[in-house]
Amino acid sequence: MSGKTILYVEDNEFNLKMVRQLLARTAYQLIEATDGEMGVATALNEVPDLILMDIQLPKMSGLDATRRLRADPKTAAIPIIVITSFALSGDDQKAKDAGATAYMAKPYSPRELLQMIRNLLPEQ
Amino acid sequence: MRWVAAIKASVHAKLLAGYLLVTLLVIGMGAMSLQTIAKMSSQGQLLDEAHERVHWSQEIQHALAMQMNFTAMALLLRSEATVENILRENNRFNNTLARLEKAAQPEEVELIQRIHAAQVEALTTVADIANLIRDGKVEDAMRLQHNKQYPLYRRIEEFVTQLVERERNKMDRLRASVAAANRNTLILMASSAAALMLVALLLGFVISWSFILPVQKAHGFLSEVAKGNFAATINVPNRDEFGALAAHMNHMSQELHRLYESQHQGSQELQRLNEQLQQASKAKSNFLANMSHELRTPMNAILGFVEMMLDEIYGEVPAHLREPLTDVQTNGKHLLRLINDVLDLSKIEAGRMELVLAEYSVQDVVETVRTSLQSLALEKGLGFVAAVDDDIPLALGDGKRITQCLMNLVGNALKFSKHGRVSVWVEQQGENLVYRVADTGIGIPKEELENIFGEFQQVDTAITREFSGTGLGLNITKKFVEMHGGRIWVESELGKGSTFFFVIPLRMNHVEVT
Repeated sequence: MSGKTILYVEDNEFNLKMVRQLLARTAYQLIEATDGEMGVATALNEVPDLILMDIQLPKMSGLDATRRLRADPKTAAIPIIVITSFALSGDDQKAKDAGATAYMAKPYSPRELLQMIRNLLPEQ
Repeated sequence: MRWVAAIKASVHAKLLAGYLLVTLLVIGMGAMSLQTIAKMSSQGQLLDEAHERVHWSQEIQHALAMQMNFTAMALLLRSEATVENILRENNRFNNTLARLEKAAQPEEVELIQRIHAAQVEALTTVADIANLIRDGKVEDAMRLQHNKQYPLYRRIEEFVTQLVERERNKMDRLRASVAAANRNTLILMASSAAALMLVALLLGFVISWSFILPVQKAHGFLSEVAKGNFAATINVPNRDEFGALAAHMNHMSQELHRLYESQHQGSQELQRLNEQLQQASKAKSNFLANMSHELRTPMNAILGFVEMMLDEIYGEVPAHLREPLTDVQTNGKHLLRLINDVLDLSKIEAGRMELVLAEYSVQDVVETVRTSLQSLALEKGLGFVAAVDDDIPLALGDGKRITQCLMNLVGNALKFSKHGRVSVWVEQQGENLVYRVADTGIGIPKEELENIFGEFQQVDTAITREFSGTGLGLNITKKFVEMHGGRIWVESELGKGSTFFFVIPLRMNHVEVT
């Protein structure tokens, strides 16, 4: 399998399961992390092609993790989609400021999320 | 003064007593003067009488001299004819003496009787002399006159002179006593007048100061109370109306003190409650904000899984399951809207809602709303026009929130209209932007126009069920408009439709935000 890898950092098992099932029928490879620190460590180890980062995470927030990854040359160029809690609350601006490539408001439509991933990272 | 003040009598009684005392003293003085005047007039009468008696005594002297004279004349003329004159003078003498005797003091009576006896003897001698003259015995007559009558007259004259002297002395004494009495009276009258004046002044002074002092004290006391010193008390020795007044004032001060204390306590309690309430309100808002966030995570999974099912990621969906799945999706979205509105509202109320200020295009706002809601209008068969002037320049504010506001108003308009049309106009009026959303819906009763912007307010719960709104949209819209320094209102006619207006500044002042 030489599919492109996507790291999803998310602490809610149902959301993880949903994205897992969403990507199961695509060529993308999914790797998972369940807190901010683990997300940063996994990203530095695995160097995925794209990162989905939830904004609220245990141990380290999604915004802090994004800033850490942007600061590291190994991960600085990886596209990061930050999953914000609510588009109108100003989280989108905070996500952009932290270095997010794009943001997606939660609750997101799986269809729209997949579209956004495909735009940033062509499947083939 | 304290003594007068402490007298247990009314002010009226004290004043009356004071005046009565002075009046009695004046009357007393008047009576005394009348008495003095009477005494003086009686003394004058006495003086007159004494004067008269002196006069009578002198007349006796005169009559005596005349008798002597006529006797001598008879001897000289050797005629008894002048005896008649002697008798006449004797009568005058006797009459006057009788008058004197009548008015005489006991000690004078003896002297007068002696004069009388001597006179009787003298008259007998005169008769003898007259007989001798008639008989031509002039020598004998002359001898008799010389030896008997003359010494007799001398004796009478001596007595009379004594009498005159006495009367004159008496008169002098009387005159001196009258003068002394007059002097004493004058001194007495002057000193009683002075004493009277002194008493009146003293009474006036004491009585008036016994009233002035409590008034002065009351003045001081009331200014203390006016300054807020309710602990002050007034203490006067008066047991009259002023004493009662002071007691009332103390009571009033105590009452004020009590009221002030209870009011103070009340206000402190109120402040404490208010702080508690504010904390509770903030806690509530924080709780809601957190809950809304926590709610969003499972909502993500619910809506996501349903969408994936409907997108047939898990395989083909049997026809009979597609409708219930769509119902789950529709209600899930509604629930999400509710959560979003609650989050907005709680953030606004917790003071944590901040506008993101940037330049935005009013045309874009209207276009976003138009494209988002066009399908709903089509679905319901409603006309939907949105007009905006092309020459409105870029606005400054929170474009997303303004979009949300317009979306809420147009969404409501479409929701509450069953037929007809929904029109949106936006125009610039000076420094302001005027948004207008008109519908041909059910309208709003007059009495509801004020409440419509409140929280969870819809005209009728039945309508809420039919049109499925959150009831928070208008409240949130109003709050965002006000955060922009604008205002919102509605004009409506029941059954014909409503027009919502909101006016916001074209370019928000940054100062207003902070």
